[in-house]
Amino acid sequence: MPLTPPRWLSFGSLVAFALCSVADASGQVSGKVEFNRDIRPILSDTCFTCHGPDKANRQTELRFDLEESTRADLGEGRRAIVPGEPARSELYRRVSAKDEALRMPPVHSGRKLTDGQVDLLKAWIEQGAEWQKHWSLIPPKRPNLPSVKNPTWIRNGIDSFILHRLEREGLGPSPEADRATLLRRVTLDLTGLPPTPSETNAFLADKTPNAYEKVVDRLLASSRYGERMAIRWLEAARYADTNGYQTDAARIMWRWRDWVIDAYNRNLPFDQFTVEQLAGDLLPNATLDQRIATGFNRNHRGNGEGGIIAAEYAVEYVVDRVETTSTVWLGLTMGCARCHDHKYDPLTQKEFYQTYAFFNNVPESGKAFKYGNSPPFILSPTPHQQKQLQSIDRKLVAAQARAERLAPELTAAQAVWEKTLRPSQLIHAAPTDRLEAYFPLDASTLEKASETNRKKALRGEFVDGKDEYVIGRIGLAGNFDGKRFISAGDVADFGFYDRFSLGAWIYPKGNKGGAIVSRSKEVPQESGYSLLLDQGKVQLNFVVRWLDDALRIETAESLAPNQWHHVMATYDGSRVAKGVNIYVDGKPAKLKVLLDELNQQFKSNEPFRIGSGGGPESRFEGLIDEVRAYHRALPADEVAVVANPDAVNQIAAIPVTKRTPALADKIRSYFLAAAAPEAIREAHQQLAALRREKEDLIDSIPTTMVMQEMEPRRDTFLLIRGAYDRPGDKVPTNVPSCLPPLPATAKKDRLGFARWLVDPGNPLTARVAVNRYWQMLFGTGLVKTVEDFGSQGEWPSHPELLDWLATEFVNNGWNVKGILKTLVTSATYRQSSRVTPGLLQRDPENRLLARGSRVRLSPEMIRDQALAASGLLVEKIGGPSVKPYQPPGLWKELSGDEDYQPDTGENLYRRSLYTFWKRAAPPPSMMNFDSAGREACTVRETRTNTPLQALNLMNDASFVEAARVLAQRVMIEAPATPEKRLALAFQLATGRPPKTEEQKVLLAGFERHLKEYEQNPKAALNLMISSREFPIDERLDVCELAAYTAQASLILNLDEVITKE
Amino acid sequence: MNPLLESQLLINRRQFFSRTSTGIGVAALASLLDRDLLQAQTKTGGLPDLPHFPAKAKRVIYLFQSGAPSQMDLFDYKPKLQDYQGVELPDSIRKGQRLTGMTATQATFPVAPSRFKFAQHGRSGTWVSELMPNVAKIVDQVSFIRSMHTEAINHDPAITFFQTGFQLAGRPSIGSWLSYGLGSENQDLPAFVALVSQGTGNPADQPLYDRLWGSGFLPTRYQGVKFRSGADPVLYLSNPGGIDSTLRRRFLDDLSELNQLKLQEAGDPEISTRIAQYEMAYRMQTSVPELTDLSKEPEAVFELYGPESRKPGTFSANCLLARRLAERGVRFIQLFHRGWDQHLHLPKQIAGQSRDTDQPSAALVSDLKQRGLLDDTLIVWGGEFGRTVYCQGKLTAEDYGRDHHPRCFTIWLAGGGVKPGISHGETDDYCYNIAKDPVHVHDLHATILHCLGIDHTRLTYKFQGRHFRLTDVHGEVVSKLVA
Repeated sequence: MPLTPPRWLSFGSLVAFALCSVADASGQVSGKVEFNRDIRPILSDTCFTCHGPDKANRQTELRFDLEESTRADLGEGRRAIVPGEPARSELYRRVSAKDEALRMPPVHSGRKLTDGQVDLLKAWIEQGAEWQKHWSLIPPKRPNLPSVKNPTWIRNGIDSFILHRLEREGLGPSPEADRATLLRRVTLDLTGLPPTPSETNAFLADKTPNAYEKVVDRLLASSRYGERMAIRWLEAARYADTNGYQTDAARIMWRWRDWVIDAYNRNLPFDQFTVEQLAGDLLPNATLDQRIATGFNRNHRGNGEGGIIAAEYAVEYVVDRVETTSTVWLGLTMGCARCHDHKYDPLTQKEFYQTYAFFNNVPESGKAFKYGNSPPFILSPTPHQQKQLQSIDRKLVAAQARAERLAPELTAAQAVWEKTLRPSQLIHAAPTDRLEAYFPLDASTLEKASETNRKKALRGEFVDGKDEYVIGRIGLAGNFDGKRFISAGDVADFGFYDRFSLGAWIYPKGNKGGAIVSRSKEVPQESGYSLLLDQGKVQLNFVVRWLDDALRIETAESLAPNQWHHVMATYDGSRVAKGVNIYVDGKPAKLKVLLDELNQQFKSNEPFRIGSGGGPESRFEGLIDEVRAYHRALPADEVAVVANPDAVNQIAAIPVTKRTPALADKIRSYFLAAAAPEAIREAHQQLAALRREKEDLIDSIPTTMVMQEMEPRRDTFLLIRGAYDRPGDKVPTNVPSCLPPLPATAKKDRLGFARWLVDPGNPLTARVAVNRYWQMLFGTGLVKTVEDFGSQGEWPSHPELLDWLATEFVNNGWNVKGILKTLVTSATYRQSSRVTPGLLQRDPENRLLARGSRVRLSPEMIRDQALAASGLLVEKIGGPSVKPYQPPGLWKELSGDEDYQPDTGENLYRRSLYTFWKRAAPPPSMMNFDSAGREACTVRETRTNTPLQALNLMNDASFVEAARVLAQRVMIEAPATPEKRLALAFQLATGRPPKTEEQKVLLAGFERHLKEYEQNPKAALNLMISSREFPIDERLDVCELAAYTAQASLILNLDEVITKE
Repeated sequence: MNPLLESQLLINRRQFFSRTSTGIGVAALASLLDRDLLQAQTKTGGLPDLPHFPAKAKRVIYLFQSGAPSQMDLFDYKPKLQDYQGVELPDSIRKGQRLTGMTATQATFPVAPSRFKFAQHGRSGTWVSELMPNVAKIVDQVSFIRSMHTEAINHDPAITFFQTGFQLAGRPSIGSWLSYGLGSENQDLPAFVALVSQGTGNPADQPLYDRLWGSGFLPTRYQGVKFRSGADPVLYLSNPGGIDSTLRRRFLDDLSELNQLKLQEAGDPEISTRIAQYEMAYRMQTSVPELTDLSKEPEAVFELYGPESRKPGTFSANCLLARRLAERGVRFIQLFHRGWDQHLHLPKQIAGQSRDTDQPSAALVSDLKQRGLLDDTLIVWGGEFGRTVYCQGKLTAEDYGRDHHPRCFTIWLAGGGVKPGISHGETDDYCYNIAKDPVHVHDLHATILHCLGIDHTRLTYKFQGRHFRLTDVHGEVVSKLVA
């Protein structure tokens, strides 16, 4: 087809211009000038900064974002725009002024209008200066399909718009891509993996008219589809496996990732997909899944750096949510209005904070935990764990019932047994479940205790003084004089995430008090834990660094000195003061939180000490007896038992009706453990075992961060210049006024907001979503600025098509698989991507779609394809992140801390969306290929072409191994000729057999390598060694395998292999 | 940006080193391989309207002292503090300004004067601490800024601010701005190279992040490439075992041939770019090891940089490497030296840390001068903020610690574009507030860009509808510093 260059080609081959009315060199403008398409971008980019929505920056009253302002009298009858009369319009006079001092924009602004832009402004005024509301804020109307000259090409609505435009430009579409190419294209696009040779053969053989449609249906039904879709969503949602600031330690959010994959696979309609992620927790009877979904807006970074000011970061988190949510759903750069009114779009600063208010009601601290998840988070059992939990619960019910059936028998047996107890033989007992350490502090009975229960009844060494035991609360007690203490060895090594309890009988002499037990340095306020008596108050300390990374809680009341008390502190591993209880004499004490800033692991290498902790100043003065440390947080009733001094046989002497619950529990539990009839004991042991099993299971369940609301709602204030410490006026919760209002019935919370977003009347949401699907398939959005649909964004290349797709999407119930099917079954999508010199000159970015798109694969597709071609790929949906190969040292050299430890076995070969993402040191092979950094929301796809990519594909262990295993695969699977084997390798990577010329190059290279390796088998061995973990098939000749490996690597490096053709 | 310009960039953007390669043949590429180093030094890439005015400096070596060095122990001499040892910092000085969470709850804020001796040096008579004897010898070539200040109070946001002009991650780093604006002067090496080292000060110091040399919203080819010590100075540079350079060359010939076949069929110029990138990768396999191989440096050079310069991965070896990078025309070379975050036991830690940096930093200045490179190389030395005059932790005659202090600190510059032998700005007697000529981080950025011939208000990149710049909407060139 001949290309007649239109007039505007003299302007350069710029498609941006091809999409507009354009003035030629003589200042003639062809066609009708359209405000939104042609004029607003000029005004916005050049004039709005000073004559726009931001009142702080406005130099005059004149505004070019408002039609009225441009028509108003500026004084002396001057008006910015007089429709039809450029010469009388100040706008035109000033932009065309010869005098630099008069000319707009002023030199100091750094902006400049081209002659073409000045001509456009003139033509627009001449044509009547017709104003339009910004296009993206007008709800899409279903356009009629335009007529075309060549209707036979049309497969669906998309094609009418594309062809109509092509015909207008004097162009025509390209022929359909050959079937193998098309199959590879659509398979990569919808599943992220290449087709297998058998899939290709089946498609080539299928001559039915709907063969392609069947393929599309098969791909959309594959669970690989959800994985493919999830990766882009993860980038938009700034998903990562670490917290992102400073230490950048791990967090657990993969259950949210599982949710995303699953939501795509079950084709959750986009409106529900939206509502559940933004406000699933607020849905009536929210399910676990719906709450997990809200992790979307907890994926932002969390700052746990020592010394930060929490209020400052609390603001950043909310801002991040607003920016991310508005980018992903509205395509608006709302973040620009944080500090001042938006400079280009009709969004005021006040409106920014009104929207902010929706997301500002989460019970969170700006100071995140340095390690792990920060509140609010929930337990999020996997489906498998949910089944396990149900099964244990069923067993528990049965065991409970069995124990209850045996209750009368138990009571009777216990009564008989109690009578056999002799008062003279004192029996002491306390719970033994997860008793980590027990110090009876009875010197005389020590040997015996050690024999019977070596692990639990322990003795330590007295330090700084001689052993001294005196009559204690139970048996003997250690006597502490404010100097000597017991160093008790490496026991009770508890830390940050452990549930534990520490308790003892104490008899403080006088008011000095001191440390009761500890594992901490012998220096005041040093790291570790300690339980002490400070001015009569029982105090628990967890310290990493005193003041800013520590927790200190003490009892509100003082203990009376010179008498026995039982004290016990319990901690539930939650890292916050709320997780601590202190009991005095078996009863929960009123507590005072002195410091609640714990942030890091407080484990200490110091020994467990009795009577000391925090240095010589704080040694205990008085008696300490019966020290116990449990590796669980004892519930109140068990603490009451531990704190009871009575011997079992003494309790037996008390009438049953007179016994306190603690007494009854104590004697009952001793009887059950020591003397109950077999059947009863067994029933209770089973019950206890099941409870423990459930606890263990719950411990293994991942948590995930979620959104939650506070009641009453937190007030929101406008922040002056966006600064956390400069609150201005209080603002209500509301949506921006340039968009439709919230329905009167809607609640002003996240749920109301989410439903408003997906209301069919919202002009942006559907357009923004379908535009991203377009980008995913064609490489560039219809609106190239997928993140910005505002005035500074690009005008759509095919505005009516965008609206047609948006309305199609909504009319079909936001059916994501449906709209993707429409896209990939269009004739537009199915075109060949061959580039002709003429087309390249005319439309280098292929925005007119006169051909198929030819774009480099995304980073994860490049790796996944290599794994798939070689057969290494391990397909398993969901689960925790994995650590494939990475050059050693990358983590360590940044932090001096622990290095990256690659996994072994199948975790090396999972799809790349499961690769552990550390924000401070992201996976280099992903970053080399332009992966989003996951610091902040990213929706635009970018592709560069660099030598680092070449080095990566040639030398990265993952690709060297994939090449070797691909070589191994073809040596085994293909008949034993080099031609056949090389052809199979080529087919596995490209989806087609090699052509004769290609085959010649491959074969010659193979023979050359083979000769080389046969002469130097050591080199062949070295290549095998550097191809890592996957076993080498011993049956194969190493030199031959090495030569095939070199050729397989060559194939994996081909431009075609890393490109979607 | 105007669309024509954008289109030209689009074509250039396809290449890391921005050499227009569309249509370049394999034979032509092969002939480029043997070019010597100097021939390789032609400016490629960058914005056509840059520099905005004649540049004094062509490149920058930024010696980033990560963790924040204590200004009053190194460069900001405060003799009066000796009288205030242990005295509570007056409220009139503190002015109720915010403190970090690490010391905000401290009961007292006793003044801790430096226990290190200061003396005057050079014709300029600049006061320098005994911790920096070698820097003391070059003071007449250095310009000190004693009145730096920043907005961030913690490491991550502060270092991010210095690198990108913004406290939160996501914006381009200064090196990537320059790589975008000025392009490269060597096609065989990246325009922006980062080097990291761990000091002997605080071994548990702040971590670094890859994003500190990242390109933010600029295309990723502008990001800094981290050179590492060890076998692979650039990630994936070495061929796997069993593939030597001859085999790799043949591999690349075959690859080019196959890609050429594809190019003929598909017509996509991106394929020629890819071919060119593989050739550049091959050249890097030679040029980078040659660059990082210090073995041919004469003995006198190692003596100049000190004993540590023989040990790969140290700050000293990195300084020497920086000189070699500068010689080869790398635009922005940034060293990150960890270990300055000395909250506790500062005297001991800062002594070690100063030993790491003093001799090599001074050696770099002298070495560049000897080679005639100092005139067009700008050296920057400094951290992300300063440290408090009041003590963190226990104060004794011998020992003290210092918390973060964003309100004043010292950095120094040397070389292309700045006045030598001057000190700019003053702090008060407590070294707590700025008394004269404050210099904000944005001002420093504006000044660095000025030295490179760039008007910081005109180096912009349009992203999300905004014309972003390194200095955001702030920054003034510090004209008193500019030569």
